[in-house]
Amino acid sequence: MSLNDAVRGDGARGSFLMRSVRARAAGDRTAIARLTLAALVVVSAVALALSIATGASDASALNVIGALFSGAEDTALSMRDRIIVFDIRMPRALLGFLIGAALAMSGAVMQGLFRNPLADPALVGISSGSALGAVLMIVLGASLPAGVMIALGAFALPLAAFAGGLLTTLLLYRIATRGGQTSVATMLLAGIAISALAAAITGILIYMADDKQLRDITFWSLGSLSGMTWAKLLAAGPIILLALLVVPFLSRGLNAITLGEAAAFHMGVKVQRLKYIAVVSVAGAVGASVAVSGGIGFVGIVVPHLLRIVIGPDHRYLLPASALFGGVLMLGADMLARTIVAPAELPIGIITALAGAPFFLWVLLRDRTRNGW
Amino acid sequence: MITARNLTVSLSGKTIVHGVSLEARAGELTAIVGPNGSGKTTMMKAIAGELPSKGEIAINGHALAALEPWQLAVKRAVLPQAATIAFPFTVREIVRLGLTVGPNRHAERIDAITAEALAAVDLAGFAGRFYQELSGGEQQRVQLARVLSQIWEPVLDGEPCFLMLDEPVSALDIRHQLTIMTLARRYCAGGGGVIAVMHDLNLTAMFADHMVMMKSGRIEHAGPPAKVMTDDAMEAVFGCRMRINGVPATGVPFVLPHTASA
Repeated sequence: MSLNDAVRGDGARGSFLMRSVRARAAGDRTAIARLTLAALVVVSAVALALSIATGASDASALNVIGALFSGAEDTALSMRDRIIVFDIRMPRALLGFLIGAALAMSGAVMQGLFRNPLADPALVGISSGSALGAVLMIVLGASLPAGVMIALGAFALPLAAFAGGLLTTLLLYRIATRGGQTSVATMLLAGIAISALAAAITGILIYMADDKQLRDITFWSLGSLSGMTWAKLLAAGPIILLALLVVPFLSRGLNAITLGEAAAFHMGVKVQRLKYIAVVSVAGAVGASVAVSGGIGFVGIVVPHLLRIVIGPDHRYLLPASALFGGVLMLGADMLARTIVAPAELPIGIITALAGAPFFLWVLLRDRTRNGW
Repeated sequence: MITARNLTVSLSGKTIVHGVSLEARAGELTAIVGPNGSGKTTMMKAIAGELPSKGEIAINGHALAALEPWQLAVKRAVLPQAATIAFPFTVREIVRLGLTVGPNRHAERIDAITAEALAAVDLAGFAGRFYQELSGGEQQRVQLARVLSQIWEPVLDGEPCFLMLDEPVSALDIRHQLTIMTLARRYCAGGGGVIAVMHDLNLTAMFADHMVMMKSGRIEHAGPPAKVMTDDAMEAVFGCRMRINGVPATGVPFVLPHTASA
């Protein structure tokens, strides 16, 4: 290595973090990625514990667990605490974490697939499809046969939203696939058209809706983790969990696809299979998340973007790190949402957008010169 | 050896390559030349397995159609024309992709091969730089290092590997053009094969063993550059009259009248 190269190699502009990473390992961020991942595992555990321990009520998780193990008599008070901790906070924390993980990891997958750091699941119509499904159920659900509504019960809305998201995505995938090849560019453009169409139909339904339905629609679209139950966790959790477990197997392929689909094929990736698994996993995970929580924005863009700055774009680390960080952020936002105006609570979508959007703008402006966009 | 027989490639209904046949042998640098739009890149993409085509293509006797992407990836690596990358990868991370994406034959030597591949394209010391911060020529060499690391051994399990390079020196200065062409020659000397789409006819004459001249989707001439490069062939293919000259044997003085001043 010539002196000239050494100076050029380490003296380039960049943030302090980038400089220190460069100096330490000359472009190898494996160590910092592993460290970040380990730290995120610890932080996730802490966030889950905190989320279960805190809330508007003074119910103490420690007392409840203590009571469980000491086998003490159930007093009315410990009974109440137990319900709050086990039946309200725990499913809410677990499902909140899963939803945050699903949204963030899905964002990372979409960005990798579309080779664009601003892509997110909304681009391929999952969000607008889910919204259409949900609004359809809110407005027209009443005219379904009573037996169907009773059978579906509390699952009617989540199911409709999930089906809406999945159907839109599969339709889009069909449109963009010709002769066994899926055009990512077509998918993006068709996604914009289909999202607009779904939004228009949603608009018609909103126009038809009565006052109570309008209120339901508004709250659903703001996004919230309130009303999470074990039943909802059992309904949405397995789908999200399955996607979270499948997607990391795509990481090498997603790494290759950042160089272009042709280059990925040259390096030995079955590109078409990769695209199919990625799209279906994301549709499932995001559809299930949006179904139970409504529209929670910005997690899918902000989380992977921040992590790329710290650990680099290698999906082997980016995907699990995004999942953990997304879960932690969601729990943090939820803790704010339910304590800031306690005993009432803010829709969490307001908090993620309120905090996420300016922060994202700040990151963009800060990096504008370096990234060229 | 890579063989193509009666290869026809159509893109959205238009036939770009018309029933061409060619052989690229191990140990040889095969250069494909021709005017813009003559089908050089399209033919190369078909041989790489990237475009659907009619006809027969085989690598070392294995029919291309019967090979899975990962089986192809250990036999040939492809350098595309300019590539943009949306994410902030470092140079080391890009080169490492060549070793980690496909079947990883050198798991224990990733760092060593990455360093050697970067040195081979004259980018030692660039491992820590961000790909997006590099110049076009430097990016092209990073990609070449990545491609090289994918099939690092010119001969694997007794079978030659092939580098397919689409205009490998188009963005490079003259010194690095020579570096890269020498590198390609060394790969051939090691028992591998190289197929390169070239625009620089002088570099082609200097480095190629076998030259394929294409025009309008057909191969017009093929053979060693000394035989193929004639005044008439050049005019027929490129559409302009040029004179082919030979450098005199070393030590023999010669006069270049262009330099005369009266």
